[in-house]
Amino acid sequence: MQYQWDFAAVWNHFDMLIVGLIGTVELALVSIVLGVIVGFVVALMRLSHRRALRTPATAFVEFYRNTPPIVHFFWFFYALPIVIGVSFDPFTAAVLALSTQSGAFYAEVFRGGIVSIERGQWEGAKALGMNYRAVLRRVILPQALRRMVAPFVDRSFELTKTTALASSLAYAELLYQAMQVNSITYRPMEVYTTIALMYFVVLFAASNLMRLVEYRLSRVG
Amino acid sequence: MEYTWDFKVMLDSFPLLLRGLVVTIELWILAFAIGFSLGFAVSLARVSSRGWLNAPAIGYVEIFRNTPVLVQLIWFYYAFPIILGQQLSPFTAAALALTLNTSAYCAEIFRGGIVSIARGQWEGAKAIGMTRAMTMRRVILPQVLKRMLPAFTNRGIELAKVTSLASLLAVNEIMYQGRLLSSTYYRPLEILTVVALVYFVLIYPGSYLSARLERRLAARD
Repeated sequence: MQYQWDFAAVWNHFDMLIVGLIGTVELALVSIVLGVIVGFVVALMRLSHRRALRTPATAFVEFYRNTPPIVHFFWFFYALPIVIGVSFDPFTAAVLALSTQSGAFYAEVFRGGIVSIERGQWEGAKALGMNYRAVLRRVILPQALRRMVAPFVDRSFELTKTTALASSLAYAELLYQAMQVNSITYRPMEVYTTIALMYFVVLFAASNLMRLVEYRLSRVG
Repeated sequence: MEYTWDFKVMLDSFPLLLRGLVVTIELWILAFAIGFSLGFAVSLARVSSRGWLNAPAIGYVEIFRNTPVLVQLIWFYYAFPIILGQQLSPFTAAALALTLNTSAYCAEIFRGGIVSIARGQWEGAKAIGMTRAMTMRRVILPQVLKRMLPAFTNRGIELAKVTSLASLLAVNEIMYQGRLLSSTYYRPLEILTVVALVYFVLIYPGSYLSARLERRLAARD
């Protein structure tokens, strides 16, 4: 097969892809920040002694871990507005889907980090007269945070890749913009290969950078 | 807001959703079975000391792991046929993309298991006259397969969720049927909720099993 590559067609509309890339990064960053807040609250609920807090938190985590993200996107965009009577723009629906979903996964990361510190430390700190919050802040979290870094970073990369699903709600992230460029140029091969490379460069560079950070952190400890 | 649920729609749409579920399961089993085997082959190339085997295997694994799976599906459906010179059906394109994606992740799991066995065992097996293939089959794999089981189960769970993206290529699996039905009946809330529940029922046993397995293996070590 002889195929005539024509990257000029893509290059002429590269500004559209850059807009998409910015859209992707924006969506990822906002969802990571909100996801961390959701995850932290859910993790504390799961660690609570009160069943009234623990059970809903567990259900939340299990629901999100066992259903596909695309269902969450469609659910927040098409179904939730019917219940609450307010409709969302694609960005808001995507942020809701991504931050609740990643919140469930982050909660497991945080919880895993906290329970990995042996019980004896809780008891020791308590014996010194520290209360729950003081133990958590001064003794447990400083150690647990370091262990959470690697799984946290992994999850954030997963989230960044999942932002591509927002294209199905017509939010102008990288994949959606590529579809637009494709419909102008009729060059699917060049367009989709280009954005695959763009994702690759960003994610691969970021993951190597994070590996370096993790290595540094592990040497501090 | 008062919302009256239409349970009849849920019941009426159920048979069609089940038909979609069959396609979901077909896609899942196909992609996992082939992806698993292919992943083993890739991992052998990945641990090889020969550069011409090792380098392409690294490239393969990193490309599939550092780009969104939705972009891979779109690429195989819209771009790949251009070099192939032949149109692919949505199912074939989705199965191809999911298989290759799964194989890249499985390759990393296999590699992790293989390199976790001390080098001395390879040398010992060689000293008693075993070939590399025999060492792999009789010495290395029996020790690591069990340890890799939770990781493979997790991969299976991820794949089950990712099959839902095939709906965006119009593969008539359950998510696609759900979207079709919800636009026919104008009842996205009921139908998308049923779809989410069906996925949950399908996937939860796997993740429950994987969590138990992980705890049992951790207790034994």
